Amino acid sequence: MAVLVAEGLEKTFRSRGKTTRAVAGVHLRVERGEVLAFLGPNGAGKTTTIKMIAGLIRPDAGSVRVAGRDPHRDPWALRQLGAVLEGNRNVYWRLTPLENLEYFGVLKGLTAASARRRGRALLDRFELTHKQNALTQQLSRGMQQKLAIAVSLIHEPALLLLDEPTLGLDVEAAETVKQLIRELAGEGQAIVLTTHQLDVAQQLSHRVAIIREGRIVAEDRTATLLARFSGDQYEIEVEGELGEARRARLAELGAQPLNGRIVYVGSPEGLWAVLEALRPLPILRVEKDRADLTEVFLKLVREEAHA
Amino acid sequence: MLRVIGVEFKRSLLMLRRYPMEMVGQLIVITMIFYGLFLGAQYIAGPTAQFGDRLDALVVGYVLWTLALFAIGDLSWGLMNEAREGTLEQVFLSPFGPGRVYMARNVAGLLLTLGLNLSILGLIMLLTGVRLDFSWAALAPLATVLLGAYGLGFLLGALALYFKRIQAFLNLFQFVLMFLIMTPFEQLHGFFRAAGYLLPMTTGAGQLRALMARGEAFDPVVFGLGLANGLLYLVVGLWVFGLAVGAVKRRGLLGGY
Repeated sequence: MAVLVAEGLEKTFRSRGKTTRAVAGVHLRVERGEVLAFLGPNGAGKTTTIKMIAGLIRPDAGSVRVAGRDPHRDPWALRQLGAVLEGNRNVYWRLTPLENLEYFGVLKGLTAASARRRGRALLDRFELTHKQNALTQQLSRGMQQKLAIAVSLIHEPALLLLDEPTLGLDVEAAETVKQLIRELAGEGQAIVLTTHQLDVAQQLSHRVAIIREGRIVAEDRTATLLARFSGDQYEIEVEGELGEARRARLAELGAQPLNGRIVYVGSPEGLWAVLEALRPLPILRVEKDRADLTEVFLKLVREEAHA
Repeated sequence: MLRVIGVEFKRSLLMLRRYPMEMVGQLIVITMIFYGLFLGAQYIAGPTAQFGDRLDALVVGYVLWTLALFAIGDLSWGLMNEAREGTLEQVFLSPFGPGRVYMARNVAGLLLTLGLNLSILGLIMLLTGVRLDFSWAALAPLATVLLGAYGLGFLLGALALYFKRIQAFLNLFQFVLMFLIMTPFEQLHGFFRAAGYLLPMTTGAGQLRALMARGEAFDPVVFGLGLANGLLYLVVGLWVFGLAVGAVKRRGLLGGY
């Protein structure tokens, strides 16, 4: 059973006579152990969708199921959900990490003793034990973010919503948070991750959904999406001179020497013919052009804008 | 639910400890007021003096005033602070729901404020050797006043949740509270007397005056009316707060400030 099933989510905001259609028919599905990168430009509807999943914004239409329960009708569905929301402190700065974990654990339905026990285990895992009695406001930004993630996991939810979890973190802290996300997914945690850092999304996600103006414009496995947007272009580097005859043969096959490389655009079968034409020159490198998520994202968002 | 009250009590206590100067200031003010009352400085009781000029009446009046002010304003101040600091949405992610969490927070806050006041009062009684001739019957109307105060607290909480900035309105409400607690509706006639039974907190405050200032006997019918009045305002307050929660979720206003 999918941990998250969101179907046909719609939301329109009305303020001072102005109507904004924030989300228009969004479907999302996340399985156990899966990281879904939910991407989109500013104002595309990411945060509204995340908050509709968390029960914090009521959708005009559509439904949300977290572990089979609807957080808008059944408050105990929230027992299966943890969230770190962007732009929020998420934890009390005047409390220590352990006090925050105990407080939010009880608010999620644990006993105080089990919240403390689990809180200590999470602090240990997130390497915050030495700070368990320090005030949260005195922790570094990275530590505060790790604490916010720990708090969201205190009740062992089935679904974790992470809204910009690496935003504002230094390189080392961002790496630690990324490693934690990888480990959590490896242990079976379902995660919805929104981020503007597309390299982070590419590294962490199993699937990607891209939203633009409230609509999902692409949703697929990350690898499939990258492959789909990768060109049929190959670059080959060889040692030694090509010679006139070989250049002519390469031109016949559609390959072109360019700045010390040979660029070939065509099928994998054609590539073998090009390689045959290069025999017996030593091959230093053969590389297929691979799109990264940034290219995919920009292409999709721009294509849609021009459509 | 008891668990949530327990953890809210702990949170309130810890928060209080983390603002040491505020706590010390609060302790000094409470000590000075009680000590002043014990020394005979009746004017120090401020708007509570109409509960009678006996020391026990002054003390009960002052405690009631403090608790009612706290009950009415604490939820709204808390909601505004949490919206600004960015913890409000995490509280709303509790499966207990905001109504129950904030009710638990109210009960915890009441226990803490009451505990603080009674501890200092006990200490001063010990130090001065003065004993209060306290009538336990006064607790009943006091409780009905607090029920109404919490009802108003939830009504104002609903406004705070929706509009986020209602500081000026909250300050103004002190005068409304003064009017509700000080006006002797029970001694008026006709329409105004009837209005007294309908307004929040007035029935309980009137019974407290009857018991402590005029030395009348405890009237269970008036207590029943006060209790019904308090419960009604609490239920209405919770209902309106629930409507406000629904409205901010529909309009996406929860996280903003």
